[in-house]
Parts: sequence; structure tokens; C-alpha cells
Amino acid sequence: MRYALTRIARFVFVFVIVTFLVMLATRIGSKDPVRDLAGGQVGPEVIAKVEADFPYVRACEGTITYAPCMVSQYARWVGDVFTGNMGYSYAQNQSVVDMFKQRGPSTFWLGVWAIVIGLIGAVPIGVYSAYKRDSPLDRVLSLGSFAVLSTPQLVIAVFLLYAVANRVAFFPNIPDYVAPWSNPVEHFRNFFLPALTLGIGLGAVWSRLLRADMILTLQSDFINLARAKGVSPNRVLWVHALRSSVLSLITSVALQLSGLISGAVVAEQFFQVGGIGGRLVIAVQQNDILVIQAITAAVVAAVVVVNVGVDLLYAVVDPRIRQARALA
Amino acid sequence: MTAHLQTEGRVAAGTLLEVSDLRTHFSTPRGVVRAVDGVSFTLERGKALGIVGESGCGKTVLSRTIMGLQPRRGTHLTGSVRFEGKEILGLPPQQMRGVWGREMAMIFQDPMTSLNPLMRIGRQIEEPLRNHLDMPRGEASATAARLLRDVKIPEAERRLRQYPHELSGGMRQRVMIAIAMACGPTLLFADEPTTALDVTVQAQILELIGEQRRDRNMSLILVTHDLGVVAGHTDEIAVMYGGKLVEKAPTRRLFASMRMPYTEALLRSIPKLEDASHTRLAMIPGRPPDLVNPPQGCRFAPRCPYAQDRCREEEPPLVATPDDPSHSYACWYPVGSPEYRAARERIDAEKGRAA
Amino acid sequence: MTAASGAAGPTVRTPKRPNRFLTGGSVLSLTWLIGLTLLAFFADYLPFIRYATARTKSVTNYKAGPGLDFWFGSDRLGRDVFARCIYGAQISLRVAVASIIVGIVVGGALGLIAGYVKGRTDATINVLFDVLLSFPALILAVLVVGRLDVLAADVPWLTRTWSVTIVLSLLSIAPIARIVRAQTLSLSEREFVLAARSLGAGRMRILFKEILPNLVPAMVSVAFTGVAVLMVAEGGLAFLGYSVESPSSSWGKLIAENREKIDVAWWATIFPSLMLFITVLAFNVVGDRFARRFDIREAAL
Repeated sequence: MRYALTRIARFVFVFVIVTFLVMLATRIGSKDPVRDLAGGQVGPEVIAKVEADFPYVRACEGTITYAPCMVSQYARWVGDVFTGNMGYSYAQNQSVVDMFKQRGPSTFWLGVWAIVIGLIGAVPIGVYSAYKRDSPLDRVLSLGSFAVLSTPQLVIAVFLLYAVANRVAFFPNIPDYVAPWSNPVEHFRNFFLPALTLGIGLGAVWSRLLRADMILTLQSDFINLARAKGVSPNRVLWVHALRSSVLSLITSVALQLSGLISGAVVAEQFFQVGGIGGRLVIAVQQNDILVIQAITAAVVAAVVVVNVGVDLLYAVVDPRIRQARALA
Repeated sequence: MTAHLQTEGRVAAGTLLEVSDLRTHFSTPRGVVRAVDGVSFTLERGKALGIVGESGCGKTVLSRTIMGLQPRRGTHLTGSVRFEGKEILGLPPQQMRGVWGREMAMIFQDPMTSLNPLMRIGRQIEEPLRNHLDMPRGEASATAARLLRDVKIPEAERRLRQYPHELSGGMRQRVMIAIAMACGPTLLFADEPTTALDVTVQAQILELIGEQRRDRNMSLILVTHDLGVVAGHTDEIAVMYGGKLVEKAPTRRLFASMRMPYTEALLRSIPKLEDASHTRLAMIPGRPPDLVNPPQGCRFAPRCPYAQDRCREEEPPLVATPDDPSHSYACWYPVGSPEYRAARERIDAEKGRAA
Repeated sequence: MTAASGAAGPTVRTPKRPNRFLTGGSVLSLTWLIGLTLLAFFADYLPFIRYATARTKSVTNYKAGPGLDFWFGSDRLGRDVFARCIYGAQISLRVAVASIIVGIVVGGALGLIAGYVKGRTDATINVLFDVLLSFPALILAVLVVGRLDVLAADVPWLTRTWSVTIVLSLLSIAPIARIVRAQTLSLSEREFVLAARSLGAGRMRILFKEILPNLVPAMVSVAFTGVAVLMVAEGGLAFLGYSVESPSSSWGKLIAENREKIDVAWWATIFPSLMLFITVLAFNVVGDRFARRFDIREAAL
């Protein structure tokens, strides 16, 4: 119980600091935040409306009153968020919540497929290169994964675009969002290349991670016993060894999931998938204050949620942790 | 009788295992490590052989080599190992897999690390049953429970669903024994089975192993550094040093009339209950030989209190005692020979002077 | 006694892989890096690097593909892609290296203090890192550069190059500090430090003479791998529009600029991509080989 409380406390602390700093940042160098929020060159009625809707977005004057002013603004923003009002983007004429609803799924699916692709590649490669350690196959795979993980996402995207998208008519240059359940083929068409861009890099990192852990596990005593029992190598690898080696992998997958919004931006922009990351870029250009704050909040929250999920997953995978937690 | 015996094509009595001039050499950057350097013995069905020696003498490598578990990379094997009349040395794992767990089994030193921490006990016991004997799930489960009862674990059904970390060290070792016994092997290797356990539990485990052996007419190779462990639980003892067998005899005879000074030193180093408190523990001075460049001549010579020049130059062969062919030793001046007695007097005199 | 039946297992010799630093890979990488740096450094004086800015009148609009005239082809404004790549190297390298240096100096100092002094100081510094690390990197980068843009109107020296450098430095402080802290912690427990203390050496002395020298291998490896990471980051930022101002260019910017025309003039995008890839790979190889040579365990940067 105490453990949970400290975690929550830490989360709250980090959340507050990060979102507060972001709010401060949006005010830097901004002559008139309200005008910024309203979308720049607009008439006075619009300004008035914006002020009425979001009274806490205004420039704080004075050196002494600056800090308390900002803090109170922050507090009111937080209050708004908790009551469901995440803000409004006047520049794009869309409420933030709607923005999430519209763009969220794209980012989500991009991330999910990227992770799937990464795992599909990483797990067999990691397991077999650990098993056939130092064999020619292992060396080649090792080199390959190193080269791939050194390749910037941008470069992978360029090559995929050039080699595939432009040659194969199947993949559109400008994708649309299509839900997977409504039209799987279309969905695949639109998401495959960007997901592949992201997933290749992930796969390379993860295969190395898994290989390292598997090598350690394969040296354990209980693997020896399994062999001495006459268990087939496949079973030893996939049933006995893998289970003990996945902890680092799980942590990394979770990290990736939580950093999805930021991690996918380049792929999103390159293939013009309409995701949240792309929206962030636009928002910063226009100093669309509330959008920026909302997206930041979402990212920090995502990190926490995923971390909690990982902790729970640890307990599921390893019964010793389950017991230690129950007793703690 | 609770044993699960299999008798097709099996040797029911007589020679089960024949090891001839077995050598296991490893290629390392430093040179060739001669971990096992010419070991020979035979083992009858139903008998127990103890292999005793310090750490690093090659006893674990020996047992793993015989069973075929030794990893093959950089390993050079010579000699012969015949199990039930068939040569098994050097056979690839694919062929040995049918033997492992089914006809030969091994229990390891540390039960905590040897059991899969993420797998329930029941499943770990059922695994060889389902793998080798193709038992359906229900039957395997029932057999597993019965095996746990055989090894005296109370509440067997409940234990099946538990994980290794929920059991005590002694219980975990019993589980290992149960796993080993699952398919009714004819040969059991026990590699330091009691070293990781409390003293009080050690005796129970050894008793259990002995009982299983008798019930199943199973042969046992008990590898340990502890002479006390082999004393009551083996028919024959082989003493290893520097990768070689230096003495081999039926248990009683070894303790009563050992020949090799190393054996004598081992015996002396066992602290006895009758000794007065503060009695100095008798150590064997020096360190085990370098297996890459073993000393010329007798390998124990550098540490032997009775060593003569000949010992350092020529390696003594393993010869049988004149009165008992089952007792062999490798020493130029064994315990009881005139040279030994002279050396002994000298040493005692020095001790007397120094005391 | 049966005769030795010679059922010997195959003798598989697997020698240990040599743990030298100068393997084929690292030599190649170092050659590339040195060559690139020299080219970039002396770009102004080299005759074959020309037309980086639109000076030719004969070629316009991506007319020329790679060939003798324009080694990497020409771009939208008739500029030589090769030359632009070299000048891009200047920028990319400068920014990344400067940022990593700041990161090592500041992050290293903080990590050193945290790891050596321990206690309250360590706890406070740790909290600072926690926050810094929890800050989504992209948001931080984009936000800071964006805001500094606005400020730049009033502050003349605040060019984009500076903004990007500042941001990248900020982002590299925390991970480097963490690594340094971990190393310092483990080093300060080792015997030679205790030995020095028992001989009456003062804290500062120990810091400089015992601990700092032992941190150098880790720092070198971090420096190289860090530059690789930062170059990638800068490339990504440039692609998103947050790069150096024209007419200078970094590789990321080059890629972004010419991305649309990839089907008609692939050379303008592919070559900068290749340069980026090879350089990042080279830095990674050197950093990795160094780490393995000196057996350094580090948290992922």
C-alpha cells in the first residue's frame, strides 16, 4: 500500500512540475497570450470571447505578482482539465477533446503496429542468436541490428519512401485514417509503411536486449536441469528460458508505448499520418497554448499509466514478485 | 513397492556402466585444461559409487562427461563410456535426449537455482513424464503427486501447484529427487546433493536417496568433497585428484586401510566430535594442481608430506593391493610402506620439537 | 578393460574474440569521421566544394543528376548537393559536438558531485534529474526552440543554431549525469579510493586524481555515442522545421527540403540521408567499441 502511495505522489509531483514548466514556456516571449490563443490576427469580439472562455490565459504583469499569478492560472487550468474541459484551439476551431478523438487513433494504431512489427522481428532473432551464440548467423544478425539501430528513423523513412512507396502503387503517398475494423486492407495500406519505419528500429534494439538476457538465462542452473531431464531444445528455449528473459523487454516495450506520441512524430510527419505528434508541431508554431498543455499532460499521464501497467505485468510474469508484493 | 521400473532391454544385474580411460580436455586461451585425465571404473546395477575430491579435481566434469551433459564447444573427449553395453561417449544431444531423464538422471547441488523459478512444481515433475513416457495430463499429475509422497513431502497435491520459492531448501531438494526418479532411471548422478543444505537436512536427504536406490535397484554415483557424506551411503569410493583417480576401494576398506596419503589427509581434515574444542583443523597445505600444466610425476607430490624424489619424477600407476583386487591406489610409497613410516617418524619428530 | 574406442567428440576451437579497440569496423569509422571533419573544416578552401550557394546560372531546378559536374547532383536552386552536404556536415557536427561537450561538462559535474558527496545533495540532484528525464524530449525541444524563436527577434545572437544547441545540451545533461553518478558511486566504494583516504588525501584530491581519471573511458564512449544520438535528434528536429536558418543547412534540413521531389530527383534526399546514416553509424561503432574495450556498463542514453 505504501508503495502505491509513494508512486502516486511521485507521479503527481512530476506531472505538476512538467505541465507548469510547459505553461511557463508558452508564455515566454509571447506579447499577448490571449491573442496567441485566439489565433493571431482576429477581431476584438473574438478576443473578448476567448477571454471569457478561458480567463486564466492572460499575461501576468509585475515582477512580484508574476509567480502567484502564474500559479493561480495553472491551478485553474488543472481544475478545468479535471472537469473535462481540456481547452479549445481557436486557430483550428476544434476543442482539444475532439482533437484527441480525431487524431488519437492514428497515433495509437501507428504505435501498436510498430510495436507488433518490432516484436515479431525481435523475439525470434533474439532467441535464436542467443541460442546459436557466436555462430556466423549470430554475428551477421548482430551486425545487422547494430546498423539498423544506428539508422535514424528519418533515414529509414526516406529509404522506405523511395524504395517502396514510390514504386509500389499499393501504398499511398498521403494516407488517410481508416479504422482497422471497417476496412482492414485500407488500414494496412495506410499504416504499414510508417509503422514499419518505427518498428524496424524498435526491433533492432529489442533483439539485442533479448539476446543479452537470454544468454544470461541460458547459463542458469535450471536450464541445465531441464536439459538433463531430456527436454527438447525448443522447449528449453521457448518455455523455460524465454519466460525468465523477458523482463527487460517488457520494460522497454512499455517505455516505447508511453513515449509513443513523441517517438512517432518523425514517422507521422514524414508519411503525413494525421496523428497527435503532428498536431503538436503545428501547435507550437502557432503557440496554440491549450493544445500544447493538453498534449503534454497526456504524454506525462501516459508514461505513468504504462509504468503502473508494467509493474503489474512484472507481478504476473514472476511469481516471486507477486509474493513479495503481497507481503510488503 | 512404489518404484516405477522399466525392464525392456535393461540390464537387471551386473555391469551397468563401464568407464575406460576417460579424458576430458578443454581448449582455452591459456592452454589445454586436462580436467579429467584418464579415469576408469565400472559400476554394477544397484550399487553406489562415491567420487570424492577437493573442488577443482574434476569430479563434476567427470559426472557430466559420463552423462554427456558437458557442452561440446572447445571440448576434446577420449576414452570410452559404455552404458548398458552401448557406447555413449561423444553421442550428440539429439541421441542422448532419450536417455536423459529416463535412464540416467542427475540431481544438482543448489535446488534453489536448479528449479525453474517461474514454473509450478507439478509441471516441472510432469515434464519428463509427458515427454519420455507420453503420459496424458491426468495420469502425469497423479504420478507427480505420488512421486512427491515417495520423497516424503507432505500435502503433495497442494505442493504441486506451488512455486519453488515457496518451499524450504530441504523440500526443494526432495522435489529434485522426485523429478529425477520420475521415469525410473537405472543410474542416478548426485552432484553435491547436500552441500547447499542444513546439516540436519543432509542426513534425511541422503537417507532418502539411499531408500530410492534400494527400492528401484538403481545405481548411484555420488559426487562430493565431503568424506562424511559418502561414509554411510556408498558401496565403493573413488578418490580423485588433479583429474585422475588416485584410490578406489570398497567403502569400509577405504576408511579402515587407506593407502594413498591424499586419502589419509582428507580423512584427517574431517573435524570429529570427540576432538577437544580448539583442536586445530588439519588442513592440506598448498593448492590444487594447475590442470593446464600439471606437475610431472605424482600430481599430489607438491603437497604430500611424505613425498620422495621418485614421486616428483615418475607418475605412479593405479595398482591393486595384493590382498584385495577391488582396492587400487596410485602411490609409490603408500600408507603402511617402510618409506612412509620413516617419513612419518620424521614429521612427528619435527612436530614434537616445534610443539 | 576395453580398449579406448576413440569415440572422441569434435574439437571445436572457439577462441575468445579479441577485445581490442582498433578492429576493422572502428578503423573504418574513425577514418570516415576524420575525413569528414577535415573536409567540413576546410570546406571553404577546397576547390572541389563549390556552388554551395546558388552561383551557377547554367543549371536550374534539379536539372543535373549525379555526375562529373555535380558529384551528388544539383538541387532545387542549382546548388551542388555534395557541397551542401559538406557544409551540412559542418553544421550537424558543430551542433552535436558542442551540445555533447556542454552535456558532459555540466552533466558530468553534477553527476560527479551527486555520486561522490551522496546524501542530501545526491537526493536533490536526483530529483532534478527525474524531472528533466520525465520531460518528453520532443516537447521540450520543440517548445524551447519555438519560444526562443520568438525571443530571437529581440536578441540578435540567438540564431537558430544557438537555440538548437541549447536545447540539445539541455537534453543530454540528465542522461550523462546519471551515468557519471553511477560510475562515481561504484568507484568511490573501491579500494583505491579508501586507500587514498586512509593516507590522508583530501576530498578534492581524490576526486581529481583517483576518480576523474577512471571516468575518462566511460566519458569518451558516452561522447561518441552521444554525438550519434544528438545528430539523429538534430536531424529529426530539422525535419520538423526546427533547424538552422537558411542559407546554412544541416542534413536533416536538406532531407526535409527535398523530400517532396524524391521521385524526380532522388539524389537530393538520398545523399544527405546516406551521409547522416554513415556518420551516425561511425560514431556509434567507435563509441560501442570503446565501451566494450573498457568494459563499461551504461544505462541507455
